[in-house]
Amino acid sequence: MLRNLLALRQIGQRTISTTSRMHFKNRVAEKQKLFQEDDGIPVYLKGGIVDVILYRATMILTVGGKAFGMFEGTAYAIYQLAVASFPKKQD
Amino acid sequence: MTHQTHPYHMVNPSPWPLTGALSAFLLTSGLIMWFHFYLTLLLTAGLLASMATMFQWWRDVVRESTYQGHHTPPVQKGLRYGMILFIISEVFFFAGFFWAFYHSSLAPTPQTGGHWPPTGILPLDPMEVPLLNTAVLLASGVTITWTHHSLMEANQKESTQALAMTIALGIYFTLLQMSEYSETPFTISDGIYGSTFFMATGFHGLHVIIGTTFLTMCYIRQQLHHFTPNHHFGFEAAAWYWHFVDVVWLFLYISIYWWGS
Repeated sequence: MLRNLLALRQIGQRTISTTSRMHFKNRVAEKQKLFQEDDGIPVYLKGGIVDVILYRATMILTVGGKAFGMFEGTAYAIYQLAVASFPKKQD
Repeated sequence: MTHQTHPYHMVNPSPWPLTGALSAFLLTSGLIMWFHFYLTLLLTAGLLASMATMFQWWRDVVRESTYQGHHTPPVQKGLRYGMILFIISEVFFFAGFFWAFYHSSLAPTPQTGGHWPPTGILPLDPMEVPLLNTAVLLASGVTITWTHHSLMEANQKESTQALAMTIALGIYFTLLQMSEYSETPFTISDGIYGSTFFMATGFHGLHVIIGTTFLTMCYIRQQLHHFTPNHHFGFEAAAWYWHFVDVVWLFLYISIYWWGS
């Protein structure tokens, strides 16, 4: 029985002491090759189509958001002026 | 093909400074729309835009360094100066909140009942969860130093374990603080005590979350083999930030939790 216990301990050690859970292959060299390609593409687009999609989405969100925000703010400011121009009668 | 004859980094033109500035506008005006009119569209757009900017900007820094090799020793020196200056600016940010706390607590006014803690305030026991929080952050300082040494000795297994422990301790701190926040008998609107307590500890908590996120990014990069035993400044910057967060907590604990109780 003790031998079984010792065997169990060895198995436990072996499974835990191999690589850590997330063991990724070293793909840095491939990335280096991709990003050092002499194609004139700036670094923020050099990763491929996902970069382009993300870039466009960010620009739409920010520039569009700014335009909308300024519109909303201006509209509200004018509304406030209109309200202030006609004071409520106090009885 | 042209090659540069200097060791500095001439960055590609990038849209992220612009999108960062625009998302700051959306965040601030979004907060106004939310506070005054309960509308959240602008704020949501601002949060998404700022997160997208941060993700893409820092992704590009990783590309420029690890994949394109632009981070030569002079460039790294500049980055070190930059991170140090940024942390110094954060020190001044917290100095303001500590100033406010000491201003009110060193010379208690009649409004507080002439003493500190003010009348009616039941402060948290500094020997309970706050002491545990102190131990948690100090331990995380040890584990992050262990991580660094393992990294420098090319010990992949131990650096991964130590970094994971550091992150776990950071999360544990945040969870403990969240539970403390729900248990306090006072709120942010309970006079100057509430204001100083929650502004100082609240911003500290935010910085713990930021630091934990930074460390998590380092964990991912470590798994992707980005760090070498001699070049891992991203990790060092995260470690400096983490130690800063730890030191701020020590000041908070001693000033607000212990002396202020």
